[in-house]
Amino acid sequence: MAEDLVLDTAIRDWVLIPLSVVMVLIGVLRYFVSKLMRSSPTPDAKMVKEGQIVIRARNLKAGANFIPPKSFRSRRFYFSNEENGLLHVPKDQAAQNPQAQMFSDPNMAMDMMKKNLSMIIPQTLTFAWVNFFFSGFVAAKIPFPLTQRFRSMLQNGIDLSTVDVSYVSSRSWYFLNLFGLRGLFSLILGDENAIDDTQRMMQMGGFGFDASKSLSAEKDGLDILQHEWVLPGFEHRAESVLRKLVQ
Amino acid sequence: MVTKTEETQLKQLENQVDNGGGGAWEYLCLVRKLKIRRSEKVLKHGSSILNDPGKRSALGPDEWTLNEQVAIAAMDCQCLDVAQNCIKALQKKFPESKRVGKLEALLLEAKGLWGEAEEAYSSLLEDNPLDQAIHKRRVAITKALGKPSLAIELLSKYLELFMADHDAWRELAEIYLSLQMYKQAAFCYEELILSQPTVPLYHLAYADVLYTIGGLENVISARKYYAATIDLTGGKNTRALLGICLCASAIAQLSKGRNKEDRDATAAAPELHSLAAAAIEKEYKQKAPAKLQLISSALRSLKL
Repeated sequence: MAEDLVLDTAIRDWVLIPLSVVMVLIGVLRYFVSKLMRSSPTPDAKMVKEGQIVIRARNLKAGANFIPPKSFRSRRFYFSNEENGLLHVPKDQAAQNPQAQMFSDPNMAMDMMKKNLSMIIPQTLTFAWVNFFFSGFVAAKIPFPLTQRFRSMLQNGIDLSTVDVSYVSSRSWYFLNLFGLRGLFSLILGDENAIDDTQRMMQMGGFGFDASKSLSAEKDGLDILQHEWVLPGFEHRAESVLRKLVQ
Repeated sequence: MVTKTEETQLKQLENQVDNGGGGAWEYLCLVRKLKIRRSEKVLKHGSSILNDPGKRSALGPDEWTLNEQVAIAAMDCQCLDVAQNCIKALQKKFPESKRVGKLEALLLEAKGLWGEAEEAYSSLLEDNPLDQAIHKRRVAITKALGKPSLAIELLSKYLELFMADHDAWRELAEIYLSLQMYKQAAFCYEELILSQPTVPLYHLAYADVLYTIGGLENVISARKYYAATIDLTGGKNTRALLGICLCASAIAQLSKGRNKEDRDATAAAPELHSLAAAAIEKEYKQKAPAKLQLISSALRSLKL
């Protein structure tokens, strides 16, 4: 059926706007709570050193052509030689699953749990609230047409199969807000803190600093690097600069 | 490194503040952000804000950051009583604070009580073994005590852990130079060039060290780095120009007995030294015409 349903403006006043406001407020609240609960991470000396090694190896890669070939080669050897090169990760260490490491370390496990909880609980509560109060009616109309497949996703409380799929329930408005409020949070909370739920979910999946992989990546990068000393070219350039200056 | 816009902004604010306009707080914030050393001005304007209770309460929580900034500036200018007052105020507000502990140890250092300062830093390090600033203060103490070899040892250990800290590499290079350990200094300058290849100062310093070590290969490399400096500074750096001329004459002397191949390698940019000499003379004509005779005769004696 392609008729246009006329939706009561009361729906807009009492459903859409309050829902958005509530979600924004919950996001702000969560930000402050996470700030309070954040325990300052005590950096491990090993991790700091590895981080710095990676930076130095990257500098070496970037500026390799500015130093004489001998120096470059001796530095590369220092980093990637087989016995005690800094970037060389022995096979057994590399195989050790960083995830297992993370779980065995109680501090990190606690931090992760806190982060997960602070995300899951508000989401669950809000979702339940939306379902309880705002189900069973059409909340909004999506401006573009959709296929029938979306019906189960977007029209959850509405049990009429003849209603056009563009008319969605408030649950879908909830999801829209969930994914879309990141821009608003970055305005309110300052750019760095605008992590909304989608990013947090992504962070949950991928773990933090995986030392051994980045080290071996840097090592590979260094190994394949061909050193080409650019300094001789500078003499010609200096000549032309001086020529222009002296003219 | 400070960018051009920030530099102009800083100069503007400085002028404004010095001539009695407002804006002292913005100036202090900018100095703090850029981490530059303007201790006298910071001391003067910071104290004026702190001593005026109206302005002080207007700052709110930033008052304590200002206290810290003024304390450090006061120690730099040897006004230890001002520093003491600021630190006392901070101590009252934040007892048991590591940051205040650092300031106290700094005050001990400023008073010249090296033993107590060293103890204070060691105890702070026990709580927080990865604090870069405290490590560097310890090296500073050894330097002040005139023990460069100990400073080198501490700094090397620090760099083993924090090897991406280019300020530390620079400091180590200078200490090595003061001890005439040129090869090690060259290594440090190479690190600096790697991390910041567009800064002409490092190329210049590296070239100086290479020239000082001597030997045909090193002098040839030195010439290349002087050329790099000239390129990066647009020919304005007189030291690099002189370096080129000196290298040219040194190469000529050293390669007197060599065969043709080396000669060709050294003649990569044959006009470079004559152009450099011309550029030097031009600059002397502009800036110090009285000494033009001197430099011309010196250059002529260097000519091959």
